[in-house]
Amino acid sequence: MEVFYFVPEVLFYILSGLILLSSVMVVSARNPVTSAIFLVLDLFFVAALYAKLDAHFTAAIQVLVYAGAIVVLFVFVIMLLNLKPEALRGVRFSVGEAAVLLITLVGFAIIGSELARTAPEAVIPGNLGAGAIELAGGNTFVVAMRMFTSYLWPFEMASILILLAIVACVMVAKKDKVLGAAHHFRGGSPE
Amino acid sequence: MIPVENYFLLASFVFLCGLSGVMFRRNLIMVLMSIELMLNAVNIVFVAASRQLAQVDGQIMVLFVITVAACEAAVGLAMVIALFRRYGTVNTEFLRLLRG
Repeated sequence: MEVFYFVPEVLFYILSGLILLSSVMVVSARNPVTSAIFLVLDLFFVAALYAKLDAHFTAAIQVLVYAGAIVVLFVFVIMLLNLKPEALRGVRFSVGEAAVLLITLVGFAIIGSELARTAPEAVIPGNLGAGAIELAGGNTFVVAMRMFTSYLWPFEMASILILLAIVACVMVAKKDKVLGAAHHFRGGSPE
Repeated sequence: MIPVENYFLLASFVFLCGLSGVMFRRNLIMVLMSIELMLNAVNIVFVAASRQLAQVDGQIMVLFVITVAACEAAVGLAMVIALFRRYGTVNTEFLRLLRG
C-alpha cells in the first residue's frame, strides 16, 4: 500500500512528459502524417490525464471525438491532398514572432504568479468533490444532470453550431457546379 | 495530490507548442493541427480547475470546447480542400491574398 500512495504523482509526471514530448513532435515533424500520428498519441495521453483527474466522461469523449473523428478527418485530408514533407524553416525568429512568444510567456508567468499568490481559502470550492460525485452516481451521471439542467440552452446552441458547420462545409468544399451552370445557361463565364 | 499549478504549467507549455506551430509552420494542415493542440491545452486547464474547485462545470465547458474544435476542424479542412483545388497548394507563403 505504501507503493500505491505515490502512484498518482509518478503517473502525472510520466504523463506530462509524454504529453510534452508528443506535442513537440506534432509541431516539429516534417511529414504531416507523422504529425497526425503524434497528435493522436498526445490526445490519448491527455485523455489518460483526464481519467486521472476523475473526469471519466470527458476522457471517453476525448478519445471518441478527438482521436476517433477529428484526427481521422485530418489524416483523410492529408491522404486526399497527397502532401510532400515540407522543408522546415531554420530557427530564425523575426522580431514580431519573438515578441509574440515572449508576450505569451510573460502572460502565463503573470497568471501563474497570481494563482500562486491567491490563498487557497480565498477560493470557494463547490460541493462536488470526488467522494460526493461517487455518492451522487458517478461522473457521467453528475455531468449529464448538470448538462441537461443548467446548461441546456448552451447545449441546444451547440447543436445549431454543428448544423451551421455542416452547411458551411458543404458550401465551401463542393465544386462550383450550380453557379457555373447558371452562368453557362446565361452564356457568361463562371468567373 | 498534485498542485493545480503543475497542470497549468503543463498546459501553458502545450499551448506554447501549438502557438509556435501556428507561427512557424507553413503547411495549412499543420497550422490547423497546432490550433487543435492549443484548444487541448485549454481543456487541460478546465479539467484541472474543475477538479480543484470540486465542480463539474469545467468538464461541461470542455465538452463545448470539443464541439467547437470539431466544427472548426471540419470547416477549416473544407477550406483547405477548396484552396488546394483553386491554387494547387496549401503552403501559407503562396496564400497571401489578404496580406496586401
